[in-house]
Amino acid sequence: MSPRRTDSGGLIDRLRTIRFTFDGAPYTGHAGDTLASALLANGVTLFGRSFKYHRPRGVLTSGVEEPNALVTVLRDEVREPNIAATMVEIYDGLTAVSQNRFPSLAWDVSAANQFGGRLLSAGFYYKTFMGPAIGPLKSTRFWMFCEHFIRRAAGLGRAGTAADTARYERMNAFCGVLVVGSGPAGLMAARAAADQGARVILSELEPRFGGSANWSGETIDGMPGADWAARAAGQLEGYDNVRLLPRTTVWGYYDGNVLAALERVTDHKERPGKGEPRHRYWVIRAKSVVLATGSFERPLVFPGNDRPGVMLAHAAERYTNEYGVLPGHRIALFTNNDSAYRSALALKKAGAAIVAIVDVRPELSSEMRELADEAEAKILSGHAVVATEGGKALSGIKVQRFDMANGALAGDARSIQADCLLMSGGWSPTIHLASQAGAKAEWNAARQAFLPPKPTQMWPTQQWIGAGAFTGSFSTAEAIAEGRAAGLSAAGGTGTPAALPVVEAAPGDPDPAPVFEIRADGKSFVDFQHDVTAEDVRLAHREGFISVEHLKRYTTLGMATDQGKSSNIPGLAIMAEALGKPIPEVGTTRFRPPFSAVSIGSLAAERFGDLRPERLTPMHDWHVANGATMYSAGLWHRPMIYGLSGETIEQAYVREARATRESAGIVDVSTLGKIAVQGPDAAEFLDRVYTNMFSTLAVGKARYGLMLREDGLAFDDGTTWRLGEQDFLMTTTTANAGKVMQHLEYFLDVIWPELKVHVTSVTDEWAGAAIGGPKARAILAACVTGTAVDNAALPFMGIVHGKISGVPVMICRLSFSGEMAFEVYSGAGYGTHVWEALIEAGKPFGLVTYGLEALGTMRIEKGHVTGAEIDGRTTARDLHLDWMLSKKKPFIGSAMMDREGLIAPGRLELVGLISLDNQPLNGGAHIVEALDEANPHDSIGHITACCYSPALGRYIALALVKDGKARRGTRAHISDPLRNRFGPVEIVSNQFFDPDGSRMHG
Amino acid sequence: MVERQSPLEPAPLEPELRTGSHGDFEHGVDVILSETRPRSILQLAAWPGQEKELISGIRTVTGLALPDGAGAGSTDGVKSVFGFAPGKFTVVDEAEGLGSAFANVVTPAIGTVTDLSHGRTAIRIAGPKAEWVLAKFFAIDFALPAFPVGAGRSTMHHDVFAQIQRTGADQFDIYVFRSFARSFWKALCHASEEVGYEVQ
Repeated sequence: MSPRRTDSGGLIDRLRTIRFTFDGAPYTGHAGDTLASALLANGVTLFGRSFKYHRPRGVLTSGVEEPNALVTVLRDEVREPNIAATMVEIYDGLTAVSQNRFPSLAWDVSAANQFGGRLLSAGFYYKTFMGPAIGPLKSTRFWMFCEHFIRRAAGLGRAGTAADTARYERMNAFCGVLVVGSGPAGLMAARAAADQGARVILSELEPRFGGSANWSGETIDGMPGADWAARAAGQLEGYDNVRLLPRTTVWGYYDGNVLAALERVTDHKERPGKGEPRHRYWVIRAKSVVLATGSFERPLVFPGNDRPGVMLAHAAERYTNEYGVLPGHRIALFTNNDSAYRSALALKKAGAAIVAIVDVRPELSSEMRELADEAEAKILSGHAVVATEGGKALSGIKVQRFDMANGALAGDARSIQADCLLMSGGWSPTIHLASQAGAKAEWNAARQAFLPPKPTQMWPTQQWIGAGAFTGSFSTAEAIAEGRAAGLSAAGGTGTPAALPVVEAAPGDPDPAPVFEIRADGKSFVDFQHDVTAEDVRLAHREGFISVEHLKRYTTLGMATDQGKSSNIPGLAIMAEALGKPIPEVGTTRFRPPFSAVSIGSLAAERFGDLRPERLTPMHDWHVANGATMYSAGLWHRPMIYGLSGETIEQAYVREARATRESAGIVDVSTLGKIAVQGPDAAEFLDRVYTNMFSTLAVGKARYGLMLREDGLAFDDGTTWRLGEQDFLMTTTTANAGKVMQHLEYFLDVIWPELKVHVTSVTDEWAGAAIGGPKARAILAACVTGTAVDNAALPFMGIVHGKISGVPVMICRLSFSGEMAFEVYSGAGYGTHVWEALIEAGKPFGLVTYGLEALGTMRIEKGHVTGAEIDGRTTARDLHLDWMLSKKKPFIGSAMMDREGLIAPGRLELVGLISLDNQPLNGGAHIVEALDEANPHDSIGHITACCYSPALGRYIALALVKDGKARRGTRAHISDPLRNRFGPVEIVSNQFFDPDGSRMHG
Repeated sequence: MVERQSPLEPAPLEPELRTGSHGDFEHGVDVILSETRPRSILQLAAWPGQEKELISGIRTVTGLALPDGAGAGSTDGVKSVFGFAPGKFTVVDEAEGLGSAFANVVTPAIGTVTDLSHGRTAIRIAGPKAEWVLAKFFAIDFALPAFPVGAGRSTMHHDVFAQIQRTGADQFDIYVFRSFARSFWKALCHASEEVGYEVQ
């Protein structure tokens, strides 16, 4: 039997034993235990070391707000730090380790930090950062000197370096009513909304629905609260219109009632199921939201309040009632409100001795006295705890008379032996989501808490309704009534009066005494996680950081995973006292998402490891099967080379390009953007879109076109084919297909809605094969039926329709390679069939397949431009395309293309370069007039594309060079210090090969 | 007659493309994935003011009556039609030749016909968890009242444009660009693993 496990009770499955380790030591627990409850049951009190001072820390809470007991969970090679032990469900084989300690949790050398308290006070980092005013380590050098040591000593868990192999997914959900929180209020709201027929999502961050009903010890509808909650959740499960999301934390509330939630799907399992994600990131779009998020119990601030064994009162009650674990045998309580008395009674009933209830209030109600009597607890009213005793576990407390009117202590301190001290400083509604949604919290003096505003203050786009403790209604009976009303209202129903479940609960006044701190000697912690003491808050005040926002940043109060859950109100109260102002005048910080930690993996979701979809051409599998080395061009995968055994990339593309110029080559051009431009105004539209004329183009002919942007710079180029009077097929560069489509749609939708033109992407409709070279026409003649392909039937820029191997094809005679060339288009589903037929027909003619490298080589030899030259900075003139700028009509960009700067001398112009040292050139390399390897400067341009040219037998490049045209025939140098490439080049025309086009025209 | 090649035809290195059960199917198959391979996929688009004429033409050719409203559609199991943008419709037929059937009906005065029979791939996802799997991809409400049988939606997943038509209570036909089809299919398979899926 575990030393702290009760003989009976709790919602754990005592028949199932779970084995796990903590810091290497083996432990057992039961199904339904958290790591915190299981360790407590095993008598473990020390869970971690604090952030700055490395003080020993136990477990403070039982839920998501836990600031102390943060652990690292190890799963295979992956370590996940900073997980609250209160939120880790144990499973067989769970391996958890403590954090921020060396060499061990029990003996941590950095614990010496706590004796340097003055040095490590608020603003430590800022002061260190400033450094001394003189000396070798002055100013930031001191920080740089200290940083290494500070980073080692401070902080939370260590992140792992192993790649996360877990799977994450995103889910989109829509609902009429999202109910956040499944305590009695949430369960009632979900049921009421579901009964109205609304589609309901009920989310609960814990594994078990029911919230406080699971541990309050109250009776609802004549049965234990936990049973009532289980029944209510079970009934909801039977509704078709209800989705239950346990282990799901709603962490963000965004505009338009869009909420973000994290579902921990497999963290509690030994192994995920096949295909099961670890986390699901839910994006929930809700018509309305019921916030039933409950409240957090507040710690009290007094010296030694962080010692292991000091715990929130409700947490101890929960460990006892829900997990069957007593956090101590001799338990004292310290409170400013009534709720702790119920906790005392629960612990007494479970077998603990209640040695004292220390209450700051001088007068207590008779009901509380009766509860204390029942718990056989001695009441010390008008007293306060002023110190705790013990080492890594509590051995006793010191109490003293306390006057809550002025905070004064009187009389001698006396010691009480106790192994557990429970504290309750009142309750703060969990208003985080409402705050994120823009609601300004209102201070309620009676509750001593910030409450969500009344509905009138809400933004119209964020329609939430509060219920239960979230609204400051701390009793279960109120929660049930408010929950039902909220559910009805959220579903748009009015409902008929119905009998509500009857609650039998311990009496209690929900309003605490306005006491947050007991000022006595010793460190009194406000923010346990960041080691922010009450004195740090006062120091911030003395140093002028009096706004709550500055207070937070200067002291780190409420940062990290705590996010003000436990520390917010006590910190504000201390600052308010220092300022001599009431709390509402000091204000509170706006809570931001996320409410609690969110895995980065879940945000990336399925994009992780699979960032982009792949676009494949119809002939993709053929390329792969026939030895192509594929590479990505945007989303497309395209053949780079079809290398032969032992060939380098350069050898392969040189062979492919040479063979194409000598006989014939074929390349897959299915990736070219293709846009159907249809309608009675299609020709007029193209005249406006292109710089040159298209309305004069005959049906059955194609024309090369250039587009400018509105600002007059070059945008894209390609050929457009007139297939019918009102039917054009526009081709674009592969890279710009999407942009051109958007450009066209924008002008049709916004600028010229009167034009009757439809544009449709038909890129994927057509498979395209470009076949070029001196033998290209003969190859086509050998396989095309139904049309002639001679010069008369198919002149340059002509289009014919025929068949290849029984499949209809459309053939246009145009050339990118500079050879006599044809683009053969077929339905994409026939692409491979036609491709194979062309390859077969080409065999006797020495036809080769070529990839993008050879394609690029031949276009460089011809001096054709692509996206590398149409780079968003060049004009048509810069690229020597001014012959395409029609003077007969306006077109997009015509009004702006002659701006002073665009026609000024000194612009970068397209040129060719020939390497004079016979060494390769590099893309991006700079061009200089005079070489200065030690101090490269005065670039006159850069290389945009380069290759070895088999046609010239030289390394050549295209480049954009200042006043390039005028420099033709001169020499310059490559200056590429990054790649250590320097060398002489000759500047020539961009048209290296066959400048008059005789090969292409045949 | 040459058979059209599907972008989803089994490739040696793509196990997801093979027919059979995959993922967590030992606990049941909750999703069935298939390619419907209609022979005709058309896009019809009306000029402003000509929408009713076009809808009437669609009825003449297909026999399918389009209900009013954005995204409304209809299917008879062989032919399907749905609106995917104002005045624009996707019309699908198992048989070839739908384009020529519309050529004389949709006159230049009414609008345009664009043949996308090769350019789009039709993927069907069916089964009790079809909505669950699709919810991983699209921020669309797939619940039956919000997305009735016959209706269509235009949407995106990552960079993949998709048109979705509900063709049954738990069945959806998704039209994606052919070049993206294999990538999208693999993503669908991946997302279906946890519920167990069968490729037909």
